[in-house]
Amino acid sequence: MLDSRILLKSLNDLEVRIMLCKSAFEWELLAKKYVDVESNIKNFFKKKKIPENFTTALDSLRASLVQKKGELPPIDLSDFFK
Amino acid sequence: MGLIRGIAEAVMEKAKHEVKDYLIKFMEEEKEKEKEKGTEKKPEEIKKEDVVPVVKKESVKIEEIKEEENDDEDILPLIEPEFIKFTYKVKPKDFTIPGELAETIKMLPVEEFACFVKLMIFVFEQKKNFGYLGNTLRRKIGLESFENEKFDKTVENLEKYGVLKIEQVSDNQKTFILYVPFDEENMAKAEYQKPEKSQQKKPEKKPFRKGDDDEKPAERKEKPVEKQDDQQDEIPGKAVFGMENDDLYKSYRTFVSLEIDKAKMRVGRSNFDKIYMEAVKYIDKKYGFKVLSDSEKFKEYLTNYYISAFDIPTFDSWKKTKV
Repeated sequence: MLDSRILLKSLNDLEVRIMLCKSAFEWELLAKKYVDVESNIKNFFKKKKIPENFTTALDSLRASLVQKKGELPPIDLSDFFK
Repeated sequence: MGLIRGIAEAVMEKAKHEVKDYLIKFMEEEKEKEKEKGTEKKPEEIKKEDVVPVVKKESVKIEEIKEEENDDEDILPLIEPEFIKFTYKVKPKDFTIPGELAETIKMLPVEEFACFVKLMIFVFEQKKNFGYLGNTLRRKIGLESFENEKFDKTVENLEKYGVLKIEQVSDNQKTFILYVPFDEENMAKAEYQKPEKSQQKKPEKKPFRKGDDDEKPAERKEKPVEKQDDQQDEIPGKAVFGMENDDLYKSYRTFVSLEIDKAKMRVGRSNFDKIYMEAVKYIDKKYGFKVLSDSEKFKEYLTNYYISAFDIPTFDSWKKTKV
């Protein structure tokens, strides 16, 4: 049985890992993880409203991910134009 | 009488000795002949022993090579399907292999099987059953352990088995189509589009310039069509099917690439990083977080952003200068 505290903890863990992220590859893994956690939270609170602390944590995490992606070196587009 | 007998006995005695000597000589000659024959036979035997295995080994090697060649040549298609390029109308929640396909691919050798499933997972992530057969594909699907040649060979074998089709779309570009049973309910055929059509739809965006700090690019760029899927066709940097053969469009892509590089040099590294940061934020806000984590889509939208940000002419205006 999934506990909401576990979900909250996974959000916190993810935040720490985002801070330590140093490569685009790592970022993609974290982004996938975030999407998974987000869908888990939505599934968990299917019939109820998602608590504010969760929405705040999700928003904050998403902002961190976007910020981190912007801080990482710009992706190389040379392959894309080949 | 005694004298005659004495002479006869002497003759007999001498004859005996002569016969003895003759016999001894004869015997010795026979022995020598036998010895000579014996020494002549041995080398022959040795030669035979040495030569035969060498010939055998060589013939075994040749047989092995022939077998290998035959293995490659003898790949017969497991199926002969009609290859349809499609996209998923709505991306299924889970990746699944249809039963019919599973029955077919379970007969593939382990390397071909792994390659096929990895390719299938890779294109599934992009909601389709096809993709570019580029240099980075091997890495993207996680088959770094394969050498380039081995990977190419595996893909070729998959084509021979009839579960994959390779299309040469231009001199340098190839695409692959995976055989996945077409399901009309959940899939839509990927139709070919003319460049003009996509360019007509292209949103006219005001470029983001340095110094315009009051107005964020996201606020100024309100014109793009709302739906994400529809948006894909309108991206100037995107390789739309049917366009690959259009030399003019290929030239335009090269032009865009060069213009981006020039702009990068012009604005400097730190400014370029800032523009990139803005692009990331804009794309997230405008198209959603999923686009950020989808490498191909992100590149498409990023190119679009750069085109606006660096005042790179759109395809239509660029085309006019060429005609």
